[in-house]
Amino acid sequence: MAPSKTSQPTQSNAVLSLWKAYNENTSTRLKSVDAFLVFLMLSGIAQFLYCILVTNYPFNAFLAGFASCVGQFVLTASLRAQVNPQNRSEFKEVSPERAFADFALGSIVLHFFVYNFLG
Amino acid sequence: MWARWIVPALLGLVSFVTAKSSSGNSVLVILEPKLDKDNFSKFFSGLEEKGYELTFRAPKDTKPAILEYDYAQFSHVIMFAPETKSFSSDITPQSLVSLLSKNTNLLIALSPKQTPVYTLASEFSLTLPPPGTPLISHFPQRDDPATVIPVPVRPVTPNVVSSKLAPVWFSGIPFAYQNNPLLVPILNAPAESFASDGETDSGADAVVDAADKGGEGLWAGSQMGLVAGFQPVGGARATWVGGVEMFSDEFFQKELPGGGKPGNEQFAADVAAWTFQESLVLRIDSVEHHRVNETVPGQVYTTNDQLVFSAYLSKYNPVSSAWEPFSGIQDMQLEFTMLDPHIRTALPPVRGTPGKYSVTFRAPDRHGVFKFIIDYKRKGLTHLHSSTVVPLVPPRHDGYPRFLSAAWPYYVGAISTSVGFLLFSALWLAGDDRAGSAKGKTTKTE
Amino acid sequence: MRSFLACLLPLLAIGNVYASALTLQSPRFTISASDATQLRSEPLSTTKKPSALTLGAKDVLKVTFQVVEEEGKGVQPHQTFLRFYDEVSGEEGIQPVRVTAGGKAKFELNMAKPPASLPPTTASDPLKVELIIGSFVHSPLKMDLFDLFLPASQPAPQHPDEPSFHVRSEIHHTFQPDPKLPPKFISAVFAALVLAPWVVLLGLWGFISPSVPHLLSPSILPFIATLGAFEGLLFWYWVDLKLGQVLLYGAILSIPTLIAGNQALSTMGKWRAGRK
Repeated sequence: MAPSKTSQPTQSNAVLSLWKAYNENTSTRLKSVDAFLVFLMLSGIAQFLYCILVTNYPFNAFLAGFASCVGQFVLTASLRAQVNPQNRSEFKEVSPERAFADFALGSIVLHFFVYNFLG
Repeated sequence: MWARWIVPALLGLVSFVTAKSSSGNSVLVILEPKLDKDNFSKFFSGLEEKGYELTFRAPKDTKPAILEYDYAQFSHVIMFAPETKSFSSDITPQSLVSLLSKNTNLLIALSPKQTPVYTLASEFSLTLPPPGTPLISHFPQRDDPATVIPVPVRPVTPNVVSSKLAPVWFSGIPFAYQNNPLLVPILNAPAESFASDGETDSGADAVVDAADKGGEGLWAGSQMGLVAGFQPVGGARATWVGGVEMFSDEFFQKELPGGGKPGNEQFAADVAAWTFQESLVLRIDSVEHHRVNETVPGQVYTTNDQLVFSAYLSKYNPVSSAWEPFSGIQDMQLEFTMLDPHIRTALPPVRGTPGKYSVTFRAPDRHGVFKFIIDYKRKGLTHLHSSTVVPLVPPRHDGYPRFLSAAWPYYVGAISTSVGFLLFSALWLAGDDRAGSAKGKTTKTE
Repeated sequence: MRSFLACLLPLLAIGNVYASALTLQSPRFTISASDATQLRSEPLSTTKKPSALTLGAKDVLKVTFQVVEEEGKGVQPHQTFLRFYDEVSGEEGIQPVRVTAGGKAKFELNMAKPPASLPPTTASDPLKVELIIGSFVHSPLKMDLFDLFLPASQPAPQHPDEPSFHVRSEIHHTFQPDPKLPPKFISAVFAALVLAPWVVLLGLWGFISPSVPHLLSPSILPFIATLGAFEGLLFWYWVDLKLGQVLLYGAILSIPTLIAGNQALSTMGKWRAGRK
């Protein structure tokens, strides 16, 4: 691409090209994981906003709800990392099935603690 | 609940004879030889008619002893030995004080002569005048000597003696009250009376000089006492009388200066009734506590619980020699204490159940070991004490309020994460693996 | 006791013969300030009390009179007392008055150095002052003199246990206030806000539209079903169950879950390997 004259279009160009590269190079499977990650992030932000703006009274409920989003995000992100074929060299002894089994077990345990604390 | 009737039943078994006093009916009268028993025949026969068994002895006799092997031998002791200077070995100030802790009641008479009993009076927060100074009064004008005084009966402590009594004849010494709330003043001196050893008007200067002396100064006025009771915490009572003549037959019958019979007989009977624990004797039968909608007392209570505390009170009725439920106390208070009272509230009587006093209150939101304390003391009545220990714990982990409206967003968040996880797993498990979909949005499987 | 009474009888006989009355001659009171200026000086009458007297902190009250019998001869009675009595509190103080042999009496009350027998006073309640004269040979005499306002003094000392013999003030515990809940509408709005990311998620997934060819396959579906059952069990635990119960049911449910999971994932592995 020819270098552009101003910096603004360069920045937006960089973002656009990042987006284009992401769109083309990421498999559908991974994209559905990313959608789930975005969903979890938005849900956590919404709960956090409620806690700051309105009330933190049942603080245990806030911790439970927020932790469910954050914990699930962490587990899903680690699933994505383990399953990505481009990371094959890092995770030689972990098959994608094994990664999903860990993900499912971790999620169930996380939800158990969340519901315990939710009150 | 069964404890409420077993105590009266046991007491009924113990006292076959209808004892008038709540603490027994054996009386030891220590009468000095100078005093003739027949001079007090009305007083003593009055006691015997009520059911008391009187045993007489002289101060120097060794038998019957008031204490044997550290056990009190009699329920009550009357000491009409105001001028005796030496007693037998079992009567000492220490042994008389120890009798009080063994629930034995005392009635002690004084006189202007100084005797070993004088030192005992100061143990009871009474200050006696210098020896040889009896109480005299020039008012009202009368034929009797100045030391024989008709004293109007004013109700210093309510309910101890009958109201509206005629003036009583008195001859003896006054005493001054020290600052002790356990003293129960029964009869105070008339305002115009004073203690003096004078017999003629020429003693006027001596009276004024006595006031200038240090210490108590002039012994005069209505702040002096003539008959005073002492009610310590244990329940036994001791009464001090400034002179023994007011119990004599002569004073029972002597006509008052304004005409009419004196109130000595009734007054003496009332004083004996109070001293021997017939009148104004109360006790707490039982206490119970529980949460508001339960009947069984809890082992532990939680902070902010609604608690109900009930106490059952009885008063001794000398006429029927029985303890009867008593709802007449309007100002009893309950304290809920952990080191300091956290709650002090009125404990009113319950209408419809005689003898029951009950209050409902909210337990404080501090946890710890608390006590329900009843501490009811009034002049003239037996002191009521009760202390029940109860632990107060913070709420258990599932004792807090749940499903609050303030937490709806969090509930929604947690549930939506669960549902999202489920949908995502379905999507993942049911979908294709990555091997065939490197590029593009939709791929068809082979 | 009898002998004591018998001794007094002769005296009594003498006393009865001379039971004449006593009166006061020229009773007068004077209030002066500390610098000896006279503030008030009036005679006292036996029939009418004067208006109430007021003494300041440094004033001096003097009362003078003479005790005479009927013939006007001055006598010294056995008992000449001034009684200060507070009707409201019941406190009383008795002060003797020195009388000469001729019956002349002078009483002085210096507020700068008050006598110890004066009862505790309040600024609002007066002391009633009475004169009490008693004698073995004359009829006794009692006379209300006047009401006296004195500056307030220290109250009588109280025994430390004294308050427990009266009704004591109630103690109420201040509880921590219940935490305030925000209005339900606000909570509902934010709950809807937390639901909003679903729109994003479903939109994105719809846009990506991943294929789900094996959804109803008998090797995959049981695993999804048991995962769903687990989530349902946890929701049930939040609503109703106790810890012991959920652990028990969870342990029971974990067996089919493990079996289904094993089957599902090994099938997926075979497919992935088969493709390669």
